[in-house]
Amino acid sequence: MPVLEARRLTKVFPGVTALDSVDVAFEPGRVHCVVGENGAGKSTLIKCLTGVYEPDGGEVLVGGRRRGPADRTAFRRVAYVPQEIDLFGHMSAAENLFLPYNQSYFRGLVSQRRLEERAWPWLERFRIDVRPDQLVKDIPISSQQLLQVARATVNEDYEALLLDEPTTSLTDGDAAALFDVVRRLKAEGKAVIFISHKLEEVFALGDELTVMRNGEAVGHSELDRLDVGAVITLMTGRPIDREEVFRSGAVTDEPLLEVENLTGERFASVSFRLNRGEILGFYGLVGAGRTELMQAVFGYLPAYAGRVRLAGAELKLGDPSAAVRQGLIYLPEERKKYGILPQLSVRENASISALDRLGAFLGLSAARENALAAEVVAAYDVKTPSLEQAIEYLSGGNQQKIVIGRAMVCEPRALIFDEPTKGIDVGTKTEIYRMMKKLAEEKGIGIILISSEMEEIIKCSNRIIVLYEGQKSGEFMGGTNKDQILSAAFGVVKN
Amino acid sequence: MSKLRLFQRDIINSLKRSNMTAIGAVLIIMIIAASLSSEHFLDEYNLKAVVRDLAFIGMIGIGQALLLLIGELDLSVGKIATLCGVIAGMLMVTSGLNPFLSLALALTLGILLGALNGLIITKLRLNSMVVTIGMAGVYGGVTLVLTKGKAVTNIPAVVHFLGKGNLGLVPLPFVFTLAVLIGALFLVKKTKTGRYIYAIGNNKEAARILGIKVDRIRIFNYGVMGFISALAGILYVARLGSSQASIGENWPMNSIAASVIGGVALTGGVGNPAGALIGAAIISVIQNMIVLLGVNVYWQSAVSGFVVVAAISFGSISAIVRDRKQRKAKMQALAKINPGEKNCGQT
Repeated sequence: MPVLEARRLTKVFPGVTALDSVDVAFEPGRVHCVVGENGAGKSTLIKCLTGVYEPDGGEVLVGGRRRGPADRTAFRRVAYVPQEIDLFGHMSAAENLFLPYNQSYFRGLVSQRRLEERAWPWLERFRIDVRPDQLVKDIPISSQQLLQVARATVNEDYEALLLDEPTTSLTDGDAAALFDVVRRLKAEGKAVIFISHKLEEVFALGDELTVMRNGEAVGHSELDRLDVGAVITLMTGRPIDREEVFRSGAVTDEPLLEVENLTGERFASVSFRLNRGEILGFYGLVGAGRTELMQAVFGYLPAYAGRVRLAGAELKLGDPSAAVRQGLIYLPEERKKYGILPQLSVRENASISALDRLGAFLGLSAARENALAAEVVAAYDVKTPSLEQAIEYLSGGNQQKIVIGRAMVCEPRALIFDEPTKGIDVGTKTEIYRMMKKLAEEKGIGIILISSEMEEIIKCSNRIIVLYEGQKSGEFMGGTNKDQILSAAFGVVKN
Repeated sequence: MSKLRLFQRDIINSLKRSNMTAIGAVLIIMIIAASLSSEHFLDEYNLKAVVRDLAFIGMIGIGQALLLLIGELDLSVGKIATLCGVIAGMLMVTSGLNPFLSLALALTLGILLGALNGLIITKLRLNSMVVTIGMAGVYGGVTLVLTKGKAVTNIPAVVHFLGKGNLGLVPLPFVFTLAVLIGALFLVKKTKTGRYIYAIGNNKEAARILGIKVDRIRIFNYGVMGFISALAGILYVARLGSSQASIGENWPMNSIAASVIGGVALTGGVGNPAGALIGAAIISVIQNMIVLLGVNVYWQSAVSGFVVVAAISFGSISAIVRDRKQRKAKMQALAKINPGEKNCGQT
């Protein structure tokens, strides 16, 4: 009997049917994957299955009985691991694990020593290589992710474990460690629900698969009866060429961005050159210093030494507004934290970088601003109910399109894309790759692509630079063999 | 779409967004309640006094709203007002300078003091609340040193008129408040800087990555606050006819309360300066009612404080009530479907 089930589940938001009569059942001892493009309804499904949303139609069954969101104890049987890491950085691993200390030492008192004693077996069970008293902010991202899973399962009577894109911030090696844990939980008879954009992982880990599209469950099958192509076709409703490459066909040898011996907090003495019309990939393990390096190039983080030149002109270090003015724009990885202005409208988010051009006799011209925002929405195919919609309510892919569109309004010379497709579905990913290629080829823009996805780096980059612990450990031409790049990322070879 | 309709939509959108309609309705209800409960409320003399009072809190509240929009606040507004008011008075009385030149110098000083707050907060990366509490002590102290605790009297009649006079039926300080409001609305709605203020309040880091000079805008806002504080201080001195060290005692708290009642979020990024003026009007009507209804003098401060807290809670209480109702309705609907299953708790 399924431990968690949705029957004819329907959820309607103003203007959108997020879930349309979805049936899905999760059996104990199975890994059930759910895939779908952004906006397919996965998040809404999760929120209904964890009792956050009240469905408008149909029902959610936990342990075979119908449950409403008010039934908190029933939903405690569904352990949920959110996509983004939301641990308390300045508290220890043990404290994070047992918060809110339901079984604490004595009513209202917390014994640090007992917490740490109780934490050891959990850390071992999930192969988290940290001490219970280490602060979470000081432990690696991979351990943080595993700690989140451990925390969700500390409540012992859970029957279903829901993992929402658990590997987005992990490298392939760390993901493998997580999968071992998932396999063990499955062997213990838990129902594991695995939501991911990475199909390789789905095929490696899953037993069965549900595909969602436009709020409907369009397919359900045992995974060994499917192949990747069929799944993609189901997800997008159209076949996608997986072999398509997106390297720029208009690389020049005219230098655009020159970085010399740049040194900062997490990287040392890095030099590289980006040419006009080129897509330059930066690969490395999480924590290799790619983001920190690029944020320092852009001026957001301080650089201790070195110089950066853009189109021949010296760039003032430590001043992002100078970089933007000279035509270098950084598109951050964490859209929520660094990219969007959440409560402002699509219109205001789209126009914020171009206000200089919207001046009229008496201040900003509303008509011109609307026209500009409408242009961005149309050019980058943003799906939004209106220009006045607050951007925080759009899906991740649509937010990313606005962030890119907004950058392009400034007519930049060079763009730094930091993990541009993180948490974005296969169909939209391809759109973003095409967009980058087009920008490089038609406008001669130089593009730096930071990515942890090997396939993405190989498909898109004309040249690839690998960082290892803050230093350049390799430089390769596009289309290089994966193994070589990977060994440079692990610091095995230096060339 | 015609220009007019675009414009109308603009107004409707901004009304919806800042909850201004609800706050305006509250104000109207309070005015009706006040005029029903006291026959003197609608007297010309009383109304003028209320409007003259609210002009000051309203003006400071508008400046405070600009700071709250970037998630910061200034608790030294009252002391900047006092210092600038006293210096204006000393310049024109003791030094015999041209009254209007004295006023201009005092306003400039206000901008500088505000900007000094901003500089300390941004460059030393300190919290606005702590810094402005400290600076309030500094500005208040300097005022005492300058005046040795004595009031400066014999303010020239031209200046006295600015605080005491009327434009038609409208007290002059309120005319200045309206001018400040129009300036603030133009700033936030129609200029780049205004849009950047909302961007910073929404997401400071994203604003930096967009290339916005975040610190410059923050300092600008403190400068504007300093200017408005000085203006309020000068008008208050003009109204009293003498400049003394005790003016503006309750301005910091009342101006923040006015902004919050007016729908400006303490966390930044949401709200409209016009809300602060409505909020100030609500506070002034409350305080006036307390006097008119003859509340015991010793109780006045407690009662007005309580009513202000109640007014601030208005929005959030209605949200809580709405949530409760929804939850109850859903529980009832569920109970109908699963009868007899009252305790579906843990085993």
